[in-house]
Amino acid sequence: MSIILHLDFNSFFASVEQQANPFLRNKAIAVGGKSGGAGTGSTGGRAPLLARTVVTTASREAKALGIKTAMGSMEAMRILPSLIMIQGDPQKYSEITKRFLNIMRRYSDAVEQFSTDEAFADITQAAGDYFGATALALQIKEDIARECGPYCTVSIGIAPNKLIAKLAGESRKPDGLTVVPPADVINFIDSQPFSAFCGIGSKTEEKLTELGISDVKSLRRAPLSLLRSHFKNQGDWLYLAARGAGDDQVSDKVEDPKSIGHSYTFPYDLELEAELKTNLLALSDKVAFRMRRDNFYATQVSAFVRHARFPGVAGPSSAGAGVGAQHKIKDGISDGLEIYKNAWEIINKIRDKEMPIRLLGVSVSGLIKSPLPSRLFKKDQKTHRALEALDEIQNKFGSDSWRRAATLKTVFLERASGWHYDHEI
Amino acid sequence: MHELLNDPIDVTVDFIGHRVRPKIIKWGNTIFNTEKVNLVHPAREGENLIFYFSISDHSHFLKLRFDTHNMEWRLVELYTD
Repeated sequence: MSIILHLDFNSFFASVEQQANPFLRNKAIAVGGKSGGAGTGSTGGRAPLLARTVVTTASREAKALGIKTAMGSMEAMRILPSLIMIQGDPQKYSEITKRFLNIMRRYSDAVEQFSTDEAFADITQAAGDYFGATALALQIKEDIARECGPYCTVSIGIAPNKLIAKLAGESRKPDGLTVVPPADVINFIDSQPFSAFCGIGSKTEEKLTELGISDVKSLRRAPLSLLRSHFKNQGDWLYLAARGAGDDQVSDKVEDPKSIGHSYTFPYDLELEAELKTNLLALSDKVAFRMRRDNFYATQVSAFVRHARFPGVAGPSSAGAGVGAQHKIKDGISDGLEIYKNAWEIINKIRDKEMPIRLLGVSVSGLIKSPLPSRLFKKDQKTHRALEALDEIQNKFGSDSWRRAATLKTVFLERASGWHYDHEI
Repeated sequence: MHELLNDPIDVTVDFIGHRVRPKIIKWGNTIFNTEKVNLVHPAREGENLIFYFSISDHSHFLKLRFDTHNMEWRLVELYTD
């Protein structure tokens, strides 16, 4: 039977900020989703550019005072006016991600990154048994304190599979270590609420409650046929989860993406068609660069907008719903301008022209892993060569080394989210 | 108070093993003596390698940027409690 270790940083981005800046320690701080650009100026730690961002991480001190992840920055400041909002610094956090993954790889050949601050490791060989696993977890904690900084604490869960290891890790924070050997699995899961399970969301929980299933014990009593009839494939998963069974395969392979996209929420609403077009073109170029860098071309383009508000509704809660659509393309593309042309055609059809836009998104799918096939016409061949040269420039001098004249005024702030870093994608 | 800056600075460093530790930072007429190096992280700008040093003295946090291409130091953040 496998021994799986789950590691999760506590208040990751906030802890890294408190590690870097000791004057933020023991204070209620929150890290915003977008990093600051030049010219944000002196703001006492509260930059105006955070006005339309969300709290990606709150420090444990801020959490204790009611600040939650994914809360809008304006709402967070209203709840806690003394909150110190920090602009995210994705490069700082990605260094810590690399360090903790390297530490875990010292102890296991199979390490699976789950998010920027979470990973699984199969430590069956290295640990031998659960006593060895506990010693190994303590060693990992020590390595992290030494190599990432003592303010970066982690919670570790150890169990026979990924589901229970994650549940164990999440059960004691901060700086926890929870070991659940096979014999203790049932008792342990019975003590956990549904909301703690990765895979049981609020809708599933609601549905379970409607069926009279209010805890893990009652879920275990539910027949598989009942779960299948109400939850389809998830019914099987629920049946197994209630018995403490789950996936124990830790895979360090990174799968090819199914789509590549960029979206951006603007600090102000876009009203002019020209602004929409230039920003869409800049986003399309970002998507195209990633495709070419990773050796893909695409056969489908999708575009998405979120309007600034619902008609007749005022105030911050009036953000409108998103609309999107997609186009199939006859020939594969990897040029930002081609992506833009397709995306604009979509957006121009689906958007409400009377309504300002707060979010724009473009993505490509139907990805084929291969360089773009050579083109028949000279004009296309010339464009292709120019793109290759521009990619070389970008690889050598960084992402802002060239721009189309039309996009000179567009500025996208780098974001840090729980899943990836903008500068790495 | 938190200031985002991009000012050139003079830095005296210690070499300890394979590591560089900023020791004295001269920013205009102001001198900071490093008490603690809290975090060092690298960043890439194209092929150019940059190192950021998050350091502090008794009452300031400073973030220093060292560009390995032109060997230039800059003060990019200053935080005073």
